[in-house]
Amino acid sequence: MYELFEHTADLGLRVRAADLDTLFAEAAACLFAAVVEDIGTVEPRTQVTVELAGTDREFLLFDWLRDLLLKSDEDHMVFGRFEVRVRDDGLTGTAWGEPFDPARHMLAHEVKAITYHELKVVRDGDGWLAEVIVDI
Amino acid sequence: MAKAEFSGPLEKIGCNCWRIPREYKAGMRVDGHIFASDKMIAIIRKDQAPDQVANVATLPGIQKASLAMPDIHWGYGFCIGGVCATDPEDGGVISPGGVGYDINCGVRLVKTNLFLDDVKPHIRELVKALFYTIPSGAGRSGKYKFDTTETRRLMGEGPRFVLGRGLGVQKDLEHTESNGLIPDGDPHQVSDHAVKRGTEQCGTLGSGNHFLEVQVVDAVLDADVAKAFGLELNQVCVMIHSGSRGLGYQVCDDALSVFRNCPEKYKFELPDRQLACAPVDSPEGRKYIAAMRAAANYGFCNRQLLMHQAREVFAQVFGRSWQDLGMDLLYDVAHNIAKLEEHDVEGVRKKVWVHRKGATRAFPAGHPDVPEQFRAVGQPVIIPGDMGRASWVLVGSAGSMEKSFGSTCHGAGRAMSRTAAKLDGAGRKIDKELEHRGVIAMAASRAGLAEEQPKAYKNVDDVVDTVHDADLSRKVARMRPIGVIKG
Repeated sequence: MYELFEHTADLGLRVRAADLDTLFAEAAACLFAAVVEDIGTVEPRTQVTVELAGTDREFLLFDWLRDLLLKSDEDHMVFGRFEVRVRDDGLTGTAWGEPFDPARHMLAHEVKAITYHELKVVRDGDGWLAEVIVDI
Repeated sequence: MAKAEFSGPLEKIGCNCWRIPREYKAGMRVDGHIFASDKMIAIIRKDQAPDQVANVATLPGIQKASLAMPDIHWGYGFCIGGVCATDPEDGGVISPGGVGYDINCGVRLVKTNLFLDDVKPHIRELVKALFYTIPSGAGRSGKYKFDTTETRRLMGEGPRFVLGRGLGVQKDLEHTESNGLIPDGDPHQVSDHAVKRGTEQCGTLGSGNHFLEVQVVDAVLDADVAKAFGLELNQVCVMIHSGSRGLGYQVCDDALSVFRNCPEKYKFELPDRQLACAPVDSPEGRKYIAAMRAAANYGFCNRQLLMHQAREVFAQVFGRSWQDLGMDLLYDVAHNIAKLEEHDVEGVRKKVWVHRKGATRAFPAGHPDVPEQFRAVGQPVIIPGDMGRASWVLVGSAGSMEKSFGSTCHGAGRAMSRTAAKLDGAGRKIDKELEHRGVIAMAASRAGLAEEQPKAYKNVDDVVDTVHDADLSRKVARMRPIGVIKG
C-alpha cells in the first residue's frame, strides 16, 4: 500500500507493507506512480535486475530507488512491476517495464533525485513503514 | 501530513532581519539570520524551514551566520532560500545539499526591441512555436546531441564551446555570471553516468518549476538603472529558468553517496543526513568541487541553447533575424551554486565557500566581478516569480556585501505544497484561468500546470519589497508574463 504525501517543494512517498520485500517493491511502485500519470499503462516487456550490498536498510532502500531512477532516465525506460528480496547483507531486485512511449505514457513529474532527508524504514505494528522524500 | 509550525525563537534584529540565537539548538556554531518582513515572517513560521536554518548553522567552518532569504521554504536538508559561507582555513566544509541537485539552476533574461503592441497580435502563434520547438517536460531529449567527449568539453569550456557552432555570440558570455565559465571545473571528475545523462539534454527545459516566459516590462522603479540595463516600459523580454538537467542531478547524487560516510570519517555530527558534507580540503571535497564546477558550466550551456532556440523562434515568427530583433542577453545568473569568493568576515578579508541554495548573487556597483558595462550601477539580478503575476529585475546593492555574502532572494518561494496545489487545481482549467489574466500558457503535463499555479507561490512582490528594504538588492523593473511554456 502506498501514497504520496506533501512536502512543500517536493514529494513524499509513504509505503506500508507486511514484510520488507513487499515494502521495497511497493516503494518502487510509488516512485513510478509519481513519474507516470497512470502506472497501469506500463507493460512488463523487459526486465532489469539490481544487486546491492549493504546492511543499513534505509540506505538500501535509497540505493534501490536511486538505481531504478537512473536506469529510467539514462535508458528512457518506465517501470511498473517490481519484486525484491531483501537480505541482511543486501538485496536483489527486479523491475519490469518498457521504453518510454509518449503515445501511451503520460509523464507526471521529473523526479530529480531521491533524498536522504527524513528517510525512514521502521517497524509499524506487525509490518513495516517507509518514507522517502524525492526532489521534484 | 500536517507540518508543524516553527516554535523556536525568532528575534527581530534590524530592518527585515530576524535572528535564531545559537543557543536554540545544540551544535549551532553561529546564529541564524532570516531576512523577512513582519508579513513574511508569519508565513515562514508555518513550517520547519527556520529549523533547517538552525541545522545549517551546525556545519563545520560556517562563518558569521546561517542565512535565509524571504522566499525561504522547507527543503530537504538545507532550506530553499539559504546562504551559508564556510572558511576552508577554519575546517570549513563543502556541502552538495547546500547547492542542490540542480547544480547551477538559474535564470537568464533576453531583451527584444519589440513592445507589447508588436507582440500581442502574435502571442498565440509565438507561444505555440516556442512550445513545439523547445523540448520541455520530464526526461525529454533535445535537438542538440553531443557525444561523451563533446559533453565533457561543454563542461570544460562552458558556452564558449557552442559559440563555434553559431549558437551564440561573444557578448552572451560577457553577460553571464563568471563569463559562463567557472574556472577549475574538471569534467573528468564527473561520472560516466552523469555524462551520459548530459549527452541528450543540453538545450532542454525540464519540468517542475522550470519555464520559458515571454514577459513585458510592467513597471520601471529605477529609471537610471533600467536605462543602463536597456529596459523600458512595455518592452518585451524572454525569461528562461532551467539548470544542468540530469547531469547536474547525477553529480550531486554521486557525491552524496560518498559524503554519507564523511561525518564518521571526519568526526562531526549532523542533525540531518541530507546535510552531508566533507572538508573543502579533503579528497571527497576536492572531487565534488571539481565536478560541481564542471556541471555548473554545463548549466550555462543549457540556458545558452535554450536562448538560441528562443531567438530562432522569434526570428521565424517575426520574419527578422534575432539580431534585428535586438535579442541581446541582459544577464544570466545562477541560484543553486557554491563559489569561492572574497568577503569581509568580522573585519577580516577571507576567501570563503558561499553556498547559495535558492539564492542569487547580487554584487553591488564597483565590484570587479560585475560586467564592465554594468559596473557603475551593479549586477543585474533576475528573480522569477509565478506564471500569473510577475517576475523582477533587481540590481545588487551594498548591503548584500555586509549582510548576506553578496546574496539576495531567488524567486517567490512556494506557499502550497505540490500535492495541495494539485488538489486545489483538480477540475479547474488553469490554462483558461491564466488566459483571463492575459497569459497564454502551454505545459507538457497537466499536473505541472496545477502544481505551478500562481496561488501555489507567495507573492513575489512581497519577497522583492523585503530584500529592497533590507538593502540586499534594489528594485529596477517589474516583469509581467504574457506567454508561458512549462515542463
